[in-house]
Amino acid sequence: MVKAYSQEHTYKHPWERVTSASWRKFADPENKRTLSHILQVDTLNHKLEPETGKLYTTRALTIHAPGPWFLRKIVGQDICHCVESTVVDAKTRSMQLATKNISLEKYVEVEEKIRYDPHPDNPNEWTICRQETCIRIKPLSTLASMAEKIEQKCVDKFQQNSAKGREVMERMCKYLEAESSSRGISV
Amino acid sequence: MGFIRDRRNSSTNTSPCADLRTAYHNCFNRWYSDKFLKGHWDKEECVSEWDKYKDCLSKHIDDKNLSRFLEAEGLNRIPAASSK
Repeated sequence: MVKAYSQEHTYKHPWERVTSASWRKFADPENKRTLSHILQVDTLNHKLEPETGKLYTTRALTIHAPGPWFLRKIVGQDICHCVESTVVDAKTRSMQLATKNISLEKYVEVEEKIRYDPHPDNPNEWTICRQETCIRIKPLSTLASMAEKIEQKCVDKFQQNSAKGREVMERMCKYLEAESSSRGISV
Repeated sequence: MGFIRDRRNSSTNTSPCADLRTAYHNCFNRWYSDKFLKGHWDKEECVSEWDKYKDCLSKHIDDKNLSRFLEAEGLNRIPAASSK
């Protein structure tokens, strides 16, 4: 039982600004209210490859687990840890994020992949974001009989949250745009 | 349901590191925008911020899922994300 969906979004901001916004989106206090399901973000590790211009980062996201009340009741907890791995290639201008849950994984696996690339129609001004989400309820879990329903709930919740995420990204981009014009720096 | 509230509170148990985390993330964000994106990726910055934050984190991570994950991946010892 797998649900997968993909989404695309064009930001009318350059790639540099959009990826800067992506790093900041969970930390800004204003955004914390919108993305209230994200409780905490910690950087676990990072590595810079000076010869290639690639930056690897691993972060832990503590999230308020999506799902209906009976899911919480059965699994006995409502927070979930996810690990997000990011690769930024400054030379080719690409950013790739992959996030998956590392708790509750015997019940459900959620994997989300996001890519930010310069938009082919306007590579210096716009950014295309491609997102793929895959939600898999484990067939042998005690939830199997309800799985269908839960999957749909998960999908709904994730779609709501990714809409909120885009809203926050747009706001961060505007903020960075305003900041850079006042500092004379082009991000 | 009271237990949910309790668990939410316990989830923020790395908050002793909150200030160090903010200091590191602020430094990182500045470095990313002002240096890394402009082609100055030859050297890492924010090293002292990172060391302090990481020390704190390794002392205070007591969530079992997270520490199990860290042990399994050896992330606290070796460079991350070579799988990409």
